[in-house]
Amino acid sequence: MAPMPAVESAMQQQMHTLYSDHHGWLYGWLRKRLGCSHNAADVAHDTFVRIIASRDALIGPVPVMDEPRAYLATTANRLLVDRARRQSIERAYLAELALAAESEAGHPSAEDTLAALQALEQISVALDGVSARAREAFMLHYLDEQTHAAIADRLGVSSRMVRKYLVQCLLQCRAGASGCPAWTGGGR
Amino acid sequence: MTDDEALAEQAAEWIVQLTADDVAERARAREGFEAWKRADPRHGEVAASLENVVQGLQGVRTRAGGSYRPARAALDAAAAGRAGRGKVKRAVVALAVVCGLALPFWLVLTGCPPAVLLADLRAGGGEWPVRTLADGSRVAFNGAGAVNLYYDARRRVVELLQGEILVDVARDAARPFVVETAHGSIRALGTRFVVRRDDDATTLTMLESTVSVRSAAAPDAVTLVSAGQRLRLAAGGLGPLAPIDARSVADAWRQRSMVVEDRPLPEVLDELARHRPGLIEYDRASLQGVRVSAVLPLDDTDRALQLLRTSFPGLRVRTWTRYLVLVDRP
Repeated sequence: MAPMPAVESAMQQQMHTLYSDHHGWLYGWLRKRLGCSHNAADVAHDTFVRIIASRDALIGPVPVMDEPRAYLATTANRLLVDRARRQSIERAYLAELALAAESEAGHPSAEDTLAALQALEQISVALDGVSARAREAFMLHYLDEQTHAAIADRLGVSSRMVRKYLVQCLLQCRAGASGCPAWTGGGR
Repeated sequence: MTDDEALAEQAAEWIVQLTADDVAERARAREGFEAWKRADPRHGEVAASLENVVQGLQGVRTRAGGSYRPARAALDAAAAGRAGRGKVKRAVVALAVVCGLALPFWLVLTGCPPAVLLADLRAGGGEWPVRTLADGSRVAFNGAGAVNLYYDARRRVVELLQGEILVDVARDAARPFVVETAHGSIRALGTRFVVRRDDDATTLTMLESTVSVRSAAAPDAVTLVSAGQRLRLAAGGLGPLAPIDARSVADAWRQRSMVVEDRPLPEVLDELARHRPGLIEYDRASLQGVRVSAVLPLDDTDRALQLLRTSFPGLRVRTWTRYLVLVDRP
């Protein structure tokens, strides 16, 4: 039988080539860095998933063929950063939630927890772009609900500066949220 | 600065004024912001995108039962990770430490070879897509699955890589329709049947008419399978033909449910897990003795787990996140 995939055969061919030529190299590279073959296999796999996903999003050929290994390594590196972030967010959130659940009645649903974790990941990514002080002001105001004056006092800056920080963070979060469906407002 | 950025900045300034310390300023800001939004339709859009940000933050609080602490702890932890000695190094250490632990978010995609990711048609857990092929044949997925299509002038081949499909074959006497797996091939002219691909075997369930089956182990021998029969194709060859109730299988497909008769609980949990995006963790040995007879909804696996818990009071089902459910008998 002559194989003739009905859908997207050229792109698939390209992905097949990328995979068969470089998967072994990527796996070895990751294993050396991580010192763990399980995680290396996971990350190598997810790297290709991400490239396929971005290809789907762009509906065009992958721009990786000039420097495929550099592209793969960059993508894998980004994944490592994202994973570490997601993991520390999840761990800290669940630990704090478990503490709260011991003192108060009721426990948030799994859906609520997942939605909150996703939103927090996006917020965290967006706030990478601002200073530690601006970030702190933003959290103090919108999460802890502290007044502008109290925040100014705590951070040792003027109220005007606090407003500037808040504006800056709001804009960063908006930019980070565009095109991210997981960021939808509102609790229930 | 682009127009959009300039507008976003104006809107952000209004939003910050909405929560100013001074009551009079807040009141003025409310009126001013409303007027600004009305001034231009683009203003309204930009304002909405920023209001979403604030609402998202409120949502995070609400979802933690009104407390800001979990969200705060999470964002601080993420920032602390970033401030460490270089992002990647930190990530590498974290990854090395947790090596081998079953972290829910990590495993969602594992066990999925590249062939599946590159398949022509794919479905995720909890999905039930029906695809109509070029010849009018239809392939319906039952949860996560993947197939490749090879159509040419002489043959119509569907390669089942993973999962379970119901195939409704359009009649075409000139071009046989073949479903292939590693365990064998199933050849039809026009009929209806279900094929399920597991790691160790492929199971064929006939709903209408007849197909011919060749085992990969003995490709020269042909076995005919008719409506109301089920056949297991394993690496070692074909199993015996077993009778099934074709109507109840078809009904279960239509209703997206699973009819279970006296099966061990681990098998049932495996099946439910196929229809969820995450993991169901359990100790096979300790649950093996629990036998289940039930009709369970596959499009609402949370409810299915709830039903199991109700039927077996000794069973403990703990949902950690949507992506990790633990089942045991304490």
